[in-house]
Amino acid sequence: MKTSSIRPILLPLIIFIAGVLCSGCVAPGYGYGYGGYAVDYYEPYGGIYGEWGPGYNVGPYRDGRGRQGPYSGGHAYRSAPASHPMPSIPMGGGHGGGNRH
Amino acid sequence: MHPQRDSTPICAFNSAAKIRQKSGSYQASRWIRRGVAILALCIAGTNFMSTASAQVPALLQPTNPETHIGKIVFVELVTPDLNIAKRFYSSLFGWSFQTTQINNSDYAQATMNGYPVAGLIQKTIPDNELRQSAWLTFISVANVDAARSIALQHGAKILVEPRDVPNRGRQAVFADPQGAVFAVLASTSGDPADGLSEPGEWIWSSLISSDPDNAASFYQAIFDYEIFETNPVPGQEHLIMASTKYARASVNSLPTIAPNRHSHWINFVRVSDAVAMAARVVSLGGRVLVEPRIDRQGGKVAIVTDPGGAPFGLLEWPDGEQQEVAK
Repeated sequence: MKTSSIRPILLPLIIFIAGVLCSGCVAPGYGYGYGGYAVDYYEPYGGIYGEWGPGYNVGPYRDGRGRQGPYSGGHAYRSAPASHPMPSIPMGGGHGGGNRH
Repeated sequence: MHPQRDSTPICAFNSAAKIRQKSGSYQASRWIRRGVAILALCIAGTNFMSTASAQVPALLQPTNPETHIGKIVFVELVTPDLNIAKRFYSSLFGWSFQTTQINNSDYAQATMNGYPVAGLIQKTIPDNELRQSAWLTFISVANVDAARSIALQHGAKILVEPRDVPNRGRQAVFADPQGAVFAVLASTSGDPADGLSEPGEWIWSSLISSDPDNAASFYQAIFDYEIFETNPVPGQEHLIMASTKYARASVNSLPTIAPNRHSHWINFVRVSDAVAMAARVVSLGGRVLVEPRIDRQGGKVAIVTDPGGAPFGLLEWPDGEQQEVAK
């Protein structure tokens, strides 16, 4: 086959092959198209919130109040020393970004 | 001698043919070289674009040399409809968004007063999967791989192995022994400084767990938290986890009244009026899961969802350190 006869199809063929190969290069092995940034996360369906009874509190304390214990034994965790008051959330004017909690 | 005479043209023909063959070979090799060059350029270009598009914004700009181990430093939402989510949070809290492409997905960086508050990622939920959108909680660590080892030793599951995220840092996603999902992050731009959040910014986080006692022990092992007990409620355990002198999150018993409950983290945005904001959530297409209610020391909290179903909390907090929230 003469080169001149394959020339018209050679370049499109190369581009086609390159395109196919390149398409396979995008996000190799990550599945969802996030590439190397695969925080692909959803909670299990069916979670029910609420049904918080009396005394069910979730918020932080202020002014060092609210400390109970430490209770002796019976816990998997280590209680903070008794001399440590209940901490608050940061209250100052530090401004390092929007996630300051 | 004809043969000899004839040989000349034959040789000439052969020479010409050889020249043409050489020329043809040269042409073919030239085309092959061009093809290889195009292929290399294409692959290099694609890799460059892939790398460039995979870069999420840095956690902090400019960087902050501070590190606050155990602090919740970022949250990220995977949502089935990014545009609806952006409209919702923009209308509710005044967040601004900058959307970029991460490979084939849209990633929106939310900012408040010019500071990053969250990342939102578009992902469609497959029809055959019963999943719900949720906010993912990122907790600061110094060493993600060390955190992975400790987490595994204490019964965690690895959902996303430690990996470097360009511009962001190194991170991993785990499920704690009770199944609550969280992420750890060693930010290359540092952690946000400790300060009181403005309304519209994240202010607090709670772990609602089927086993608060062991959950507190698990997180203490990873983040070296100080654990504080609070007012005991029969059948329930309420704990506060603190690091570097500040409260970082509460740990609460999972209410056992209804089935199908699972341990989870929930993050709270600071608001001035939880009742008004809960009503606003509904008007914007969200739902109220826990009606505004008085919490510790008088501030109200509420649990709501965005239109995609992702739950989050609203928490009132006074401006002044000594100021009590009106009951």
